[in-house]
Amino acid sequence: MKNYRNLKTNVGIVIVMTAALCLGALGQSNSASASKAEVTIDNFTFQSPTITVPVGTEVTWINRDDMPHIIASDDKLLKSKALDTDERFSFTFAAAGTYHYFCSIHPKMTGEVIVK
Amino acid sequence: MSEERKILSHTDEMTHTNVSDGVDRRGFLKCMAWAGTGAVYVMQGGVLKSYALGDHGKKKLAGELTFVQLSDSHMGFNKPANTDVTATLQVAIDRIKALEHQPEFMIHTGDITHLSKPEQFDTVAQMLKGVGGQETFYVPGEHDMLEDEGKAYLERFGKQTQGAGWYSFEKKGVHFIGLVNVVNLKAGGLGTLGAEQLEWLEKDVKHVSKSTPIVVFAHIPLWAVYPQWGWGTEDSAQAMSYLKKFGSVTVLNGHIHQVMQKVEGNVTFHTACSTAFPQPQPGAASGPGPMKVPAEQLRSMLGLSEVNYVNGKHSLAIVDSNLG
Repeated sequence: MKNYRNLKTNVGIVIVMTAALCLGALGQSNSASASKAEVTIDNFTFQSPTITVPVGTEVTWINRDDMPHIIASDDKLLKSKALDTDERFSFTFAAAGTYHYFCSIHPKMTGEVIVK
Repeated sequence: MSEERKILSHTDEMTHTNVSDGVDRRGFLKCMAWAGTGAVYVMQGGVLKSYALGDHGKKKLAGELTFVQLSDSHMGFNKPANTDVTATLQVAIDRIKALEHQPEFMIHTGDITHLSKPEQFDTVAQMLKGVGGQETFYVPGEHDMLEDEGKAYLERFGKQTQGAGWYSFEKKGVHFIGLVNVVNLKAGGLGTLGAEQLEWLEKDVKHVSKSTPIVVFAHIPLWAVYPQWGWGTEDSAQAMSYLKKFGSVTVLNGHIHQVMQKVEGNVTFHTACSTAFPQPQPGAASGPGPMKVPAEQLRSMLGLSEVNYVNGKHSLAIVDSNLG
């Protein structure tokens, strides 16, 4: 992933991911996996273009536009189907990092999720 | 890119020619009206002004080749900006059928459907069957390529095309090129043609004589209408560089749901109205979403373009009609 600047960080990420997987295995009631965040799309704009969330957060995008949008990350990690009005797309960020995303049909719409 | 642009009323006529003895006076004056004056917008109450059908109704458009441009049908859209896009497309069809001079074919510049559903494509194809000549030539809009890399579109309209659906054909001495600039879009960017398509275009026009009139059609404008809203194409300049040798190039686009024209050298750029719903003028709203207008006003803001080619004059007359 382009935001991982060096090997040391990469090692750190692997540890975090492993920890997240272990926590996940312990059950859904775990507070880390229960963390949620929302990003609303309105008038061709991500209303919270930058959000910072803890590892394991489920981020949900909600399309309030009359037009469809597709959420896609630059690194192709995530891609939604076309979201029509009021449709939602959720993705759980299991690893720390900065995830840049955009609407793949209206690419001027951009946003980022910072996972710490 | 210069700021020579203007929104024309739906019934304005623009004739562009580079033949010194073939300058249409009215068209020439219109060119003069916006050349060098910066951006001139004709507005009425914050929305695009649409004239009643006056001149066009009386004018006989005779020539060697007439075709109609339809755009942005958005079949399947049912939000307040237009809850019945089938009805407004039907009005456009009725208008085409009523034309005194029947077109030989039609061009649809994309966003045929709203959500790329097979039934939405089929509804439009069925409605346009037998209308406006023998056939309709399509290029996809981003709404037509939402799922499975455009499978539903390409299965229907991509049979004799290259790549994501680009192609060219000849009609009565005019070379038509349909381009696709709605796939593989990059974060933060505009419409994109891509290296493969540009390479194809360069080859496609290589052996076309420079006196052949060229008509290029694609969904997203091939000129920088308003990049802040994504209304432009990243690599359009390269595409246009391959067309420099031609004496007459006309570029037809959709996507922005309003009429705009610009002349740059030998090239006339033109965007058509949507048959479904209007969108705001560049920068006139905080975003480019569908514009809700009073019901009685809606049809005056939708429309179609009729293009008439007069052989020998290297000119194309484009008449935009509203559905009012």
